[in-house]
Amino acid sequence: MSGDNAAIVGSAVGDRLAVLSRRAFSFLLDWMTWGYVAYCVMYLLNHYWYTVHVDWWGTLTLPSWGWSVVVLATLELAVWSRSLGRSLGQRAIGVALQDAAGGRITAGRRLVRILLWHVSVPLFAAGFWRGGDPWHDRVAGMGLRPVSPDPERPGRRALATQWGIVALFLGVLTLWVGWLIIGINFQILARRAAQTGRIWGEMLRPDFRYFTTPDPVFSLRALSYSILDLAVVTVFMALTATILGSVIAFPLSFVGARNVMGFSPSGWAAYGIVRGFFNVFRSIETIIWGSIFAVWVGYGTTLAGILALTVHTIAALGKLYSEQVEGVSPGPLEAVWAAGGSRVQVVRHAVIPQVLPSFWAFTLYRWDINVRMSTVIALVGGGGIGDMLFYYKNQGDWPKVGAVVIVIVAIVWAMDYISGRLRERIA
Amino acid sequence: MANPYLVVEHLTKVYERGQVLALRDLSFAVEKGEFLVVIGLSGSGKSTLLRCINRLIEPTRGRIWLDGVDLTRLSQARMRRVRRRIGMIFQQFNLVDRSTAIGNVLTGRLGYLPGWRALLGWFPKEDREKALANLERVGLRDKAYVRVDQLSGGQRQRVGIARALMQEPEILLADEPVSALDPATSHSIMQYLEQMNRQDGATVIASLHFLSLARRYGTRIIALKDGQLVFDGLPTAIDNAKFKEIYGEDAEEVEVR
Repeated sequence: MSGDNAAIVGSAVGDRLAVLSRRAFSFLLDWMTWGYVAYCVMYLLNHYWYTVHVDWWGTLTLPSWGWSVVVLATLELAVWSRSLGRSLGQRAIGVALQDAAGGRITAGRRLVRILLWHVSVPLFAAGFWRGGDPWHDRVAGMGLRPVSPDPERPGRRALATQWGIVALFLGVLTLWVGWLIIGINFQILARRAAQTGRIWGEMLRPDFRYFTTPDPVFSLRALSYSILDLAVVTVFMALTATILGSVIAFPLSFVGARNVMGFSPSGWAAYGIVRGFFNVFRSIETIIWGSIFAVWVGYGTTLAGILALTVHTIAALGKLYSEQVEGVSPGPLEAVWAAGGSRVQVVRHAVIPQVLPSFWAFTLYRWDINVRMSTVIALVGGGGIGDMLFYYKNQGDWPKVGAVVIVIVAIVWAMDYISGRLRERIA
Repeated sequence: MANPYLVVEHLTKVYERGQVLALRDLSFAVEKGEFLVVIGLSGSGKSTLLRCINRLIEPTRGRIWLDGVDLTRLSQARMRRVRRRIGMIFQQFNLVDRSTAIGNVLTGRLGYLPGWRALLGWFPKEDREKALANLERVGLRDKAYVRVDQLSGGQRQRVGIARALMQEPEILLADEPVSALDPATSHSIMQYLEQMNRQDGATVIASLHFLSLARRYGTRIIALKDGQLVFDGLPTAIDNAKFKEIYGEDAEEVEVR
């Protein structure tokens, strides 16, 4: 926010744009906060005293002139709260309105600033482009200045209390409106308990008839399976996906690390592509990948499940690996460069020795996740023991469901234990 | 007179952000076999200067001639080949903590290894023997298969020296090799550098904090202040007035014995 800073570094116009965008961001934050409060108030008004129509999913339906009123009213509230120095947005970028001479800012001058704002800002921050503060700030004799980070600064305690009250208010408002919007009815839990009791009872008397002998009713592609068969299939699905995924993620992770790729344009491009791939593919959950591959390679096939787990494993492990690579200490890298090593040699002899233990830990952890995921991936047609679970559930054969659930719990618990022990050993 | 071994001409380094002038128009020459000590306050540009010589940091302007070759004009691949002849020792040792001493020493040989062998980490038998011999030379033969995070500071720096020895360097850059060590260990490390200088005929360029060490080991001293050369001459030529000029008016000389 200071003009002197702008003089030292870089181009003046670029800097002024940066300052302006910071101001705009903080203003937007204030505006949105007030918008949110307005929305909540409107929702509550509607809920308790029907005045404005709100759809059941919480969308406001206002008369055609209503939206402009809301937009302008919240805008006005944002201006007032900023001028009075009660602004979340200013706080977010670490600034406060301060008197040029350091004195107290009187209410009158704050009012002047509010009035002038309406003239100055519609003219696209008039006066701002000459450097320094916009016109409305200058005339009112104040400006946005960085707040001192000094924790002993006078009045800090009072300020903290004020912000606490604001946060509490917003929190309570959110909880209140949120409760009404999702409309939970906890009474149903108690009311239906009796009906569910029968299922619980049956599941607690598990039927292990088909633990080792194949169930003739449950069959896939003319082969029938026992619970144990599919349990083994599930564990190997997870294992295959983890190995495949980590083998592919390993080389990619170095391409997705800033410190390895350097700062050449081609380095940036490769980094961007790989990191983008990681982020996009990771944000699509395994279950969604499962439904995609089930359509692609066949519903209920283990291949669909393995592919789904693998794709998500590559992206998730790739990101974790890359972050480890970026966190290595740069000294050994420098030493290998200095000895005449190439980029590949730097990775092999300076980076990999540093990251290998954490790579192992992440891979084991991922195996753990994959075992858990592979038990439910059948829900979308990914094969494995989940297939059997959902088959029996749909049949209403609860004792057999109980048996399968117990086996799943045993598998997950065992894998959890093993990978936990191995990780302990490595760390 | 033949051309000097290493010539630095009008070397300037500007860091892009904040426009910090790390080095301002430095020029000096180093003869083969010299033990040149670079002194100056922290932030005076000593590290930048050393890293510009082997181009771990790209100089902004100026030339560096090594043995009649302009290093600043070399491609990255050619520069890698030149770096094999330039050993380097670091203030923070720059070892891979999780590797063994011999594993770290062997990385000094990487520049000579074909790509596929380096990728697999298969060092030839001669290199392994050489690594053991060099560890023997710095008195760490028995620690060869110990992880370096188990070693003390002085031992780590000796591993660093053994790594540099693997390159059979013609020129050795030492970036504050002893500032993380205690005085007694400092001398033992400096003596290894002296030995490389006298016996192996390596030209040494070392940056040091303590003037007493510089006087004791250097055959010549250059001093930097704010990236500029403020002194270039024999160790004996630094008197009290010169000292104050280099380190500022309030400085007091501290001895390392």
